[in-house]
Amino acid sequence: MEILYLLVPLSVVLVFAIMVMFAWALRSGQLDDIDREGERILRNDPDEVDANQAAR
Amino acid sequence: MSLPSSTEAPPELRAPPEAVRALSPTQVVAVDDDRSLAAHTQWIEGLQGERLGQSRLLLSGLHCAACAGLIEEALGRVDGVRIAEVNGAAQRAVVTWDPARTRMSVLIAAVRRAGYGAFPDTGAQAVVQAARESRQAVWRLFVAAFCMMQVMMYATPAYMAEAGDLSADMAQLLRWASWVLSIPVLLFAAGPFLHGAWRSLRERRIGMDVPVTLGIVVTFVASSAATFGSDGPFGAEVYFDSMTMFVSFLLAARWLESRARQRAAQSLDAVMRRLPDAVERLDASGQAEWVTPGELGIGDRIRVHVGQAFAADGVIEQGSTQVDEAVLTGESRPVERGPGQEVAAGSLNLGSPVQVRVTQLGAQTRYQRIVSLVERALTQRPGFMLSADRIAGPFLWVVLGLAVAAYAVWSWIDPSRALWIAVSVLIVTCPCALSLGAPVALIAAAGELARRGVLLQRLDALEVLTRARHLVFDKTGTLTEDRLSPAPTVWLRALSPAEQSGAARLAADLAGQSAHPLSRALVHADDATREGASPPICDWQDVAELAGQGLQARLASGGEAGVWRLGSAAWCHAEGDAPLRPAVWLAREVQGQWQAWARFEFDEVLRPDAASSVAVMQRSGWSVHLLSGDQAASVQGMARRLGLPGEQARAQCSPQDKLAAVEALQARGDVVVMVGDGINDAPVLARSDVSVAMGSAAALAQARADVIVLSNRIGDLLVLHEMAQRTLAIVRQNLRWAFFYNLACVPLALVGWLPPWAAGLGMAASSLLVVLNALRLTRHSAGFPSAEGVAAEPRTA
Repeated sequence: MEILYLLVPLSVVLVFAIMVMFAWALRSGQLDDIDREGERILRNDPDEVDANQAAR
Repeated sequence: MSLPSSTEAPPELRAPPEAVRALSPTQVVAVDDDRSLAAHTQWIEGLQGERLGQSRLLLSGLHCAACAGLIEEALGRVDGVRIAEVNGAAQRAVVTWDPARTRMSVLIAAVRRAGYGAFPDTGAQAVVQAARESRQAVWRLFVAAFCMMQVMMYATPAYMAEAGDLSADMAQLLRWASWVLSIPVLLFAAGPFLHGAWRSLRERRIGMDVPVTLGIVVTFVASSAATFGSDGPFGAEVYFDSMTMFVSFLLAARWLESRARQRAAQSLDAVMRRLPDAVERLDASGQAEWVTPGELGIGDRIRVHVGQAFAADGVIEQGSTQVDEAVLTGESRPVERGPGQEVAAGSLNLGSPVQVRVTQLGAQTRYQRIVSLVERALTQRPGFMLSADRIAGPFLWVVLGLAVAAYAVWSWIDPSRALWIAVSVLIVTCPCALSLGAPVALIAAAGELARRGVLLQRLDALEVLTRARHLVFDKTGTLTEDRLSPAPTVWLRALSPAEQSGAARLAADLAGQSAHPLSRALVHADDATREGASPPICDWQDVAELAGQGLQARLASGGEAGVWRLGSAAWCHAEGDAPLRPAVWLAREVQGQWQAWARFEFDEVLRPDAASSVAVMQRSGWSVHLLSGDQAASVQGMARRLGLPGEQARAQCSPQDKLAAVEALQARGDVVVMVGDGINDAPVLARSDVSVAMGSAAALAQARADVIVLSNRIGDLLVLHEMAQRTLAIVRQNLRWAFFYNLACVPLALVGWLPPWAAGLGMAASSLLVVLNALRLTRHSAGFPSAEGVAAEPRTA
């Protein structure tokens, strides 16, 4: 159980890292229009990612 | 958010009126004008060094998230558009386009063809501000919620572990970890509460933020003391989990509330928008030049064309016309305006070109004053927040008093336990459930109603609605549609069926020369009988329209050659009683005498669900009234069609009569709900207990109303009422629970049977219970009856 003495502090660091990642996502505007994201899958035009995979 | 099916979206939301009309040539000039572009466009450099415009557009008519994609596609298909990004939540678009290949007016036209409204978005500063605030709110909520999650994880072993399972070192490590993660919650996420509390303390009053902040700070200080010196006066227990949970619940409630308010503001925003329009200014010699409205000065003479909006308040100098003042009065029928009469900026010229001398400009116009009124109404603080503050004040003093008393009494009995008992009292009574109970339920209800197109401007209107006994419609227009349906034609001369149909056709063709609503109804009726529009067969000459009278024109050829008139009874020299419903006459000149041929009558069309909804309202115990300014006979006819008792429909009411009638009902101690839509109804709307404006109502009436029914469905009033009852039931449950909980736990804490960790757990659980209970309001929405469903089934309430 000694590993917990490492893992618990590590999890604190991880929380801060995730919060920084979230801040980056927020600042790049990914959460500005949440309502729309759920319906993106229903749209006709393929996303760039899908188009790349289809070409392969 | 679930996807509302497209069949549910009311047609009014799907296609706003401005989307149907193409841009007029004058609007194209104004939209493409460099000065108006500069207000909402940034010029940037593209990859190949070319000049690109980055323009912001405000959209209207979006009713679900899929609309954003449709608009993006419509814009993307325009040649010259590089990137089109639509933000459905903010109802705004950012378009990057190549000025060498397309123009702004083409982009706006493309959005309109897709069925939505688009306007240059000049209020960019406010938008950037709102976006930053909304991001900040999400960021705070995330920090609080994510830290809460992790702190819960660290707290779990302390709750679950058997004695001896958890070593003292490990327990201490977990406490330190919780402490580290609580700091951002306290200093950053709870920032708004700390600021609010500091502000109200400086102003020497107690707001809701004060007890909240006190709870947060006391919990944190006591837990920190326990973390760093477990023998300290605060005891050995930590409650970081309760604190972080409390903060994230409060932040989530605030975030939801601001979203609901933003949505209401946006739909009003769209109502107020107009495209810029170039104006034809006449100089002293009568020479015309095109200018933007910003260049106009008071005293200028301008010529306003048919279909154009008046750019400024003014007085008509030459010509007479019909004016659509719906934006000001909500009245969809045009009004007659002649020389010397005033016209208001924002209203539409429908009849014929007129010359207007400008009297008021910009912010001084009636239209702009209404806009600023709306903006002020939006910034007002909802009443329920104030009432929550009123409850919280005394509550806090009682709690503080109890905590101090407990400390005093226990330091006399057992000094070692005095402090943690005082802390327990403070924590266990933290007014979380009390302060969340009502707002969370109201916000959940408002959000659910907004999805149906019913906007709540004053949240506490829901509470009043449940007590309402009387529902008053202020005029027939609220219950009817704008269009008129044809009634059987009355022939004033003996004519064969072939002659009758010839005359009807001739009248419709003559009516096609005019934009008067009765003329349009006649043309529409004729199109309907012949299944589709036909080209005009008649060759009319010397067409003249006299405002308030009618049309006169000469038919040059054919069997019915001669001079014809279409219009009022006096204009056509028709005799006999005036009919009870709107009508136009057709007359022909024979040897200097006018012979009335026919009378075309029209019925007002009831909204589809009006009669059934009124029936349900009456069955569920409301008394429905109709106060109209119209003629007695037509009001009685309307009452019969609605199934209203005759004495509840009053005709020929002046605004004072309406006010007196509402006051008479209120004098009996009854609560009155008023449904109105015009500017002249503003005093009655203000006097009633709950005022409801329809989506087609004047902006001013909407700004004053407590509730706006954007869908224009009468049936939505039933939905609103039912939602109000469910909301109030939930609020009562929540408050009863919070009260019961405090009543039960405070004595336990006072006698020292409740350790602080149990107090923290109880506080968190009680707030969670309150929030989940409120969310039931939205969960039932899937099975929410549609307007038709409500109308069809009898209901007892």
